[in-house]
Amino acid sequence: MTDVKAPMPGKICEIKVDPGDTVIEDQEVLVLEAMKMEMPIVAPAAGKVESINCSTGDAVQGGDTLIVIA
Amino acid sequence: MSDQTTHQSELKRLETLKQRAELGGGRKAIQKRHDQGKLTARERLNLLFDPGTFVEMNQLAESQAVDFGMQEKKVPGDGVVIGYGTIDDRLVFAHAQDATVLGGSVGTIHGQKICRIMDEALKVKAPVVGLFDSGGGRIHEGFFASKGVAGMFFRNTAASGVIPQISAMMGPCAGVSVYSPALTDFIIMVQGQSQMAITGPGVIKAVTGEDVTLEELGGAKVHSEITGQAHLVAKTDAECLQSIRKLLGYLPANNQETAPVAGCQDDPMRMEPALESMVPADFRKTYDMRKVIACVVDGGEFHELLAKFARNIIIGFGRMEGRTVGIVANQPLVLAGCLDVDSSDKAARFIRFCDAFNIPLINFVDVPGYFPGVKQEYAGIIRHGAKMLYAYAEASVPKITLALRKEYGGAVMAMCCVGMGVDQMLAWPVAKLVVLDTAAAVNLIFRKEIQAADDPQAYRERMIAAYDHKYSNPFHAASNMLVDTVIEPQATRPELIKALRMLRNKERPDPFRRHGNIPL
Repeated sequence: MTDVKAPMPGKICEIKVDPGDTVIEDQEVLVLEAMKMEMPIVAPAAGKVESINCSTGDAVQGGDTLIVIA
Repeated sequence: MSDQTTHQSELKRLETLKQRAELGGGRKAIQKRHDQGKLTARERLNLLFDPGTFVEMNQLAESQAVDFGMQEKKVPGDGVVIGYGTIDDRLVFAHAQDATVLGGSVGTIHGQKICRIMDEALKVKAPVVGLFDSGGGRIHEGFFASKGVAGMFFRNTAASGVIPQISAMMGPCAGVSVYSPALTDFIIMVQGQSQMAITGPGVIKAVTGEDVTLEELGGAKVHSEITGQAHLVAKTDAECLQSIRKLLGYLPANNQETAPVAGCQDDPMRMEPALESMVPADFRKTYDMRKVIACVVDGGEFHELLAKFARNIIIGFGRMEGRTVGIVANQPLVLAGCLDVDSSDKAARFIRFCDAFNIPLINFVDVPGYFPGVKQEYAGIIRHGAKMLYAYAEASVPKITLALRKEYGGAVMAMCCVGMGVDQMLAWPVAKLVVLDTAAAVNLIFRKEIQAADDPQAYRERMIAAYDHKYSNPFHAASNMLVDTVIEPQATRPELIKALRMLRNKERPDPFRRHGNIPL
């Protein structure tokens, strides 16, 4: 089980995967707006998207779990 | 029958002793290593050096200890092979610990041998490679063994910034032995079979009750991603030794020389229109700075170090016209390219290494500032950030800075701007060089006017656009000589090379040692 965590506080811009999708390591899974930039957040390891714990437009804190990959 | 010694009789004695030394801990121990996928000390040295060039020294040295059965346990060589040879036809010294002999533990003679080879290297000013595979100090030799270890640290420090020192961790190493590698310039770890820790799992369990394996505590992943101790990671012994050879190719033999010039098939005047599409003019969009670097250096070859530690800054070696350059670059993909504690340490030590060894520095800048937060402040961003400022200001190698996009605030000095002793300050036309982010500046300067306006938001936006148009661009900075030249993105490679050519004979103070390469 790997968690995709927010590296810093920001706003969820775009979620690029759905529950059940298979992802590979370093695949872009969402876009976080922070420090006035839209930053791609990648999957730290390969696996299947188990749950998405955020929605587009949410404000998140650094360390928040955004997506769970099993 | 005569007891007289003859050449033959003594040659036979020599042969016997050499064979004993070369077997180390014995055939069974060697087989066990091979079964584990590991090589012996001598096999490693044979792969490290150009074939047939390795000359061993002090092969017959053995432990002088008399307590705890050491006289029976000792083996000629005392668990370390030292010597010299060539790597790509250049003289290099090495020591390789033999884990088949008493666990590769450091006894007094073992330690003395390593000190001996370092002394030789310092006499002739050639690099030292250490292949570490040792459980630590040899308990059976008690406190006496500490002199050898201390001697290693003393010499690592004396040699720091004088000759390149590279360490390979090729087995589990704990306790004092890991400090010798930590004092050297670069550490390469072999994945899965090497670990570094000061206090091992046993002691930790006894004192804090924490349960942790040596791999979890100090394996290659930990040190390449969390602690920043391991600059490179290799999958096997052989790959590790190749990695050392490759790294040495970028470096001079000592601090009085420059790195060897490699052949260059890549046109120095190569224009690269792709750079404009690679780096978005819309600052909200990110890009991978490593692609920019690869576009600019010879043959796209960038030898990145500490790639997975403090990923918000990029360091490594490349070549321009066959000559080694040190590259420091912000990575907009991570933490928006902000500087922080770890990236400051990472960059500062690399800058000082390049300065010590006559390697010019090229800085690719796209930095919005320091990463905010209580965590960073409490972690000492002031103290750590200062190291980067000090390192750049002190460096007297040619320094060329290129502002690609953001040059904001205090981070500008940390990335070596005009005033920090930069030799050539270049900028792309889309770059923004400001003390404070434009929106914040406008809010401050025009606070009263904004409040008084009919449509404050529209007024603000108009002022931001006007401010940017007039002040933020590199033409404005260039008008007051804070940028030397505004260059076309596609001309980045030729412009950098022209500057490097011009700076080749930059005059520098010439002491025996500019400064060491203290671990930061």
